[in-house]
Amino acid sequence: MTAAITASAQPSGFLDHLRIGFGAGANTAQVIDLSPFTIFEDLTGAEYENSYTGMLRNIGNQYFVQAEYYDQNYIIALKPGTYSYHFSKENEVVFSNETIEQESPYLLRYITIPLEARYNFDLQRYRPYAGITVAYSHLLQSNDASNQTFIRPKITAGAVVGTYIDLRAIILDFNVGYRSGLHNIASKDNRFGTGGGTAFAQDDMLLNDLQVSLSLLFSLQKQRRYSNIECYY
Amino acid sequence: MRKILPYLFLIGLLTGGCELFQDEILPEDGFTKIYNHPDEVLAFYPESVLELDEGGYIFVSAVKDETSEIEYPSTYVVRTSASGEVEWTMAYDWLAPCATMIQTGSGIAFVAMNQQFEAYAVSIDPASGAETGQYALDLTMPLAAYTAENDQLLVLGYDFVTRSSWISKFSSSFVLERSTLLPINTDLEYEVQRHLNRTGQEYPFFIGEYNTNEGAGYFVNCFYNYTLRTVFLDLASLGAEGSIFAFRIEEGISSLVHKNEGIFGLTSYFEGNNYILPDTELSLTSSQNIKDFDSEALYELTFKAPVEALILNSDTADYELFVSQTNSNSLVIYQYAMDSDSLLSTIYKDFDETVEVKDLIQTGDGGIAILSSIRILGKYRRPLLVKIPAESFIPEE
Repeated sequence: MTAAITASAQPSGFLDHLRIGFGAGANTAQVIDLSPFTIFEDLTGAEYENSYTGMLRNIGNQYFVQAEYYDQNYIIALKPGTYSYHFSKENEVVFSNETIEQESPYLLRYITIPLEARYNFDLQRYRPYAGITVAYSHLLQSNDASNQTFIRPKITAGAVVGTYIDLRAIILDFNVGYRSGLHNIASKDNRFGTGGGTAFAQDDMLLNDLQVSLSLLFSLQKQRRYSNIECYY
Repeated sequence: MRKILPYLFLIGLLTGGCELFQDEILPEDGFTKIYNHPDEVLAFYPESVLELDEGGYIFVSAVKDETSEIEYPSTYVVRTSASGEVEWTMAYDWLAPCATMIQTGSGIAFVAMNQQFEAYAVSIDPASGAETGQYALDLTMPLAAYTAENDQLLVLGYDFVTRSSWISKFSSSFVLERSTLLPINTDLEYEVQRHLNRTGQEYPFFIGEYNTNEGAGYFVNCFYNYTLRTVFLDLASLGAEGSIFAFRIEEGISSLVHKNEGIFGLTSYFEGNNYILPDTELSLTSSQNIKDFDSEALYELTFKAPVEALILNSDTADYELFVSQTNSNSLVIYQYAMDSDSLLSTIYKDFDETVEVKDLIQTGDGGIAILSSIRILGKYRRPLLVKIPAESFIPEE
């Protein structure tokens, strides 16, 4: 909305402040278990382990297009794309002479529209920045029955840091962000409806993630000022 | 940023509907629970489940111990919360408990037998599981129990002396009111023993009641006159008035529910298949062959499949439900209209391991609870309780 208002006020300068490009990166998912639900109840009162894999094992990826509007040191960036998250739930069922360990892997693919507000510092070729981000995501359908145990929308918010690297023809955007889920993503209606029969119940959970991305950006109008020190002409 | 957040939420609402808001969905609305015991030598045969007035469930299982010197299973009762979590468990020395559990005022009771095959009603405290009383029922080898609408108790047993099915009616305080013997005319004690100790075929023994303009009565699925029959009994005298028979004891009716007047819904198994007759008029006063009725084959069900049936009452309409299990390890629910033989929906719940339905009740919130057994890892037989919310049975427009 900010971009639209600015555009109507200054129609001739809007394109001068626009950068577009694309990017990709990796992420690692962090599951916050809000309220555990188990399918197994032990008749002797024992508790069975019920946990999720750690962030180092939950590597996913993202591909997106990026559009930015910058004005002075402020930047508004949109990065719509496909964001995929991997994680696994680990359960155990204990018997006298054996313990059964179950691991249920998940792959959640979202169409996500992140919106970032950044403040950057002009250090000539490098322009480090920090900012905040909010994102709306929509879970894509899949043939995996476990996909049905999650609701489709997901809203996250977080912080980003990174730097632009000005290479004249293109601008690289190296971005690191941590996004925190704002609500439970498990479908309470389908908590036990695991379809394929995998014997576990879906917990109420937040899905947080740490993302590292690299984008290639192109200015719609060539920048006139790159550096006070280096000369490229 | 403040201006943008409402738009993001608006996008979420438009594309995701109301999925974000799930506060009205409670854990007790629907759940699936497998009740595991760590002792590998135990095999649980769940029998019957009750929903308690104060909330929660209580179910009884027969438990076989491979190492026990007694060949008959003992009794194990589990009390759970409304969302299926275990609150207490209690093991009893009573043998071969049978369906269904009995609600007696504020108490709970189950019917089982001692080592001399004598049947007892055993009352327990639902708060702790402590045994509060035992009542001799003066019959042997209990096979099924039923609490009638007027709180009277009916119990089916097998009398190995007269080789008869033995049906007795008791008051709510377990005082014998009437009893009847249905001669089998052949010795089925070995078959009954194998049924009770879970080493042979488990027969679909059950008791129910019907009420028509012409009168009320009970129906009992039991051995009678060489065959496994559904026998219609007079309400007052318990005299046999009519029956439906099949081929000896190899075939029979697996579930039966009264819809209205002379119309019943039933399932049966014969010639290696299972069949359903969701809306069939039966004569309550004559002897009929199950093969004389038009039926629809249910090829997906397991061999001689146990089936549970009930009339599901709701604010808008009543439905006829049959619950069983398929060859592909699913619980399956067939929902039929009450006033016709129309199949409204079929609901599957898939599992990795073999499941077997044992009991079905309607819960206070209009949903259903299904008590089954499941073989964890394909080897350890354990109780499985599935609660399905009422919304699942609202037909789509």
